[in-house]
Amino acid sequence: MITRTDRAPLIPPSRWVGYLLAFALIVAAPLVLGTPYWRGILVVCAMNVLLALSLNLVLGYTGQLNLGQSAFFAIGAYVSVILVRSHGWNFWLAMVAASAAAGMAGLLLAAFAVRLRGHYLGIASLGFAVITYQVLVNWEGVTEGVRGIYGIMPPPPIKLPGLPEISFGNSLALFWLVGGIAFAVYWMLDNLVRSPVGETLRALREDEVSAASLGINAARWKAFAFGLASTIAGLAGCFYPGFVGTLVPDAFNIVESFTMLAMVIVGGMGSMIGPVIGAVVLTFLPELLRSAGELRLMIYGIALTLVVLFMPGGILQLVQIVRARLSRRAGAGASR
Amino acid sequence: MSTPLLAVESIELAYGDVPAVRDVSFKVDEGEIVTLVGSNGAGKSTTLRGVAGLMRPRRGRIVFQGRDITSLPAWERAIAGIALVPEGRRVFPFLTVRENLEMGGYKDRRDGARVGARIERMLDMFPRLRERAGQRAGTLSGGEQQMLALTRALMSEPRLLCLDEPSLGLAPLVVQEIFRGIRAINAAGTSVLLVEQNARYALETASRGYVLQTGGVIASGPCTELMHDARVRQAYLGRG
Repeated sequence: MITRTDRAPLIPPSRWVGYLLAFALIVAAPLVLGTPYWRGILVVCAMNVLLALSLNLVLGYTGQLNLGQSAFFAIGAYVSVILVRSHGWNFWLAMVAASAAAGMAGLLLAAFAVRLRGHYLGIASLGFAVITYQVLVNWEGVTEGVRGIYGIMPPPPIKLPGLPEISFGNSLALFWLVGGIAFAVYWMLDNLVRSPVGETLRALREDEVSAASLGINAARWKAFAFGLASTIAGLAGCFYPGFVGTLVPDAFNIVESFTMLAMVIVGGMGSMIGPVIGAVVLTFLPELLRSAGELRLMIYGIALTLVVLFMPGGILQLVQIVRARLSRRAGAGASR
Repeated sequence: MSTPLLAVESIELAYGDVPAVRDVSFKVDEGEIVTLVGSNGAGKSTTLRGVAGLMRPRRGRIVFQGRDITSLPAWERAIAGIALVPEGRRVFPFLTVRENLEMGGYKDRRDGARVGARIERMLDMFPRLRERAGQRAGTLSGGEQQMLALTRALMSEPRLLCLDEPSLGLAPLVVQEIFRGIRAINAAGTSVLLVEQNARYALETASRGYVLQTGGVIASGPCTELMHDARVRQAYLGRG
């Protein structure tokens, strides 16, 4: 046996092991949680993972306080539904267009991020989400306003030659689809943040003055981060209406932005896996607390407050602390 | 004479409506160390911010290598060859020392081998940084952070290195090391524009100096002369 003498983390799981585990988890989760109810929660969870990943790119890696991420989720949802229903588009094509539309809206918000910092940007992005919500409520000719849109179909079945038709009418296939997309987006972002582009974004987060004096065009890279993040949020939005079957503005209340913020912070922002953990925990926690009745919101709120107070690095920080303790103990045991 | 590397012509810089620099002109020739000295609030740092492009002048012109850069944003000036070591060092605290240096080579990021070779040279210049290459910059001491800020700026191989208060908050021994580094950088061919509150260090390091007071230049000349100027001695070097 090899004795561990350095202080490297206990069993550093290589990236590939992590990817394989995540893939296995996505495949197995809906088979283990076999009821339609839990499979539905899994679909919501996959969408939340996408949203948390997208917000984390802007907030965790680029350091831009964005309190309006729900707007892009809404744009993805509404644009995809309207293109399919009123213009007869194919869903998959509409999905691409709706994600792009959300991305364009993100570029618009980025224009503010170039001039505003910190809390000011937070307020501007919050305003952006409020305006988007008001547009959904009041532009009745297009969005049906508060009446909402009903009878929305799930994504159309995929027919691949030689394989049975895959229908997304059930939560099992839909989860695998959205979960698979979340997996792919994670993989893409994981590579992005390790690349020089990721380093550039982190430099912007840590010191914009220094970044500028090294030749980094802050406006361009902020636009890149906002554009990509809102495209991903828009993509998540495309799957929401077909899953729920209805679309009302209230699903995109600005409170949703804060839920996404909570996922990123509770999980641990500025890391890749942290927001995923946050999204999973904050999706399942309310469901597990359902038996506590009205108390559950209180438990949820107290848990959030405790995390922010005592673990500003989120759940990921807790994991790292525990791991460091364990390895120190293992190291002490192995020392001569 | 040939055109100066940097010529600042009667610039006025203001924060909102409050002018901090009223009318400042100076030049830096190729290969020189030029210093701007003066007391707190004289406008030294503001002038430097103007040169680096962090503030736009309301009046006047800034010419770099014969090109008018008055309206260029900071990042384009960095690419043109003006590197700034900002006041308070401002390293990227959560990036490692090596990553900070990599960011310093941002404008040549497509040539990894060249950036890598430059990083090695920087780590040779300050061996203490080599020991800490894998450490987060935020965990370095103040002096080490200043060395990192200095080398990070050099990573872009600038023509003009602008230093804003490099001695700020550092122990005297460390300050000496930093200034030795600055002289070595200059000897290797980089022109330096130095803003420094510690006038003694500044005048001993630079070849020419400008004395700023309330947003204007009140004296200028070779540092050996400025050191004997009565006004300078009285105001900045202690009684004399």
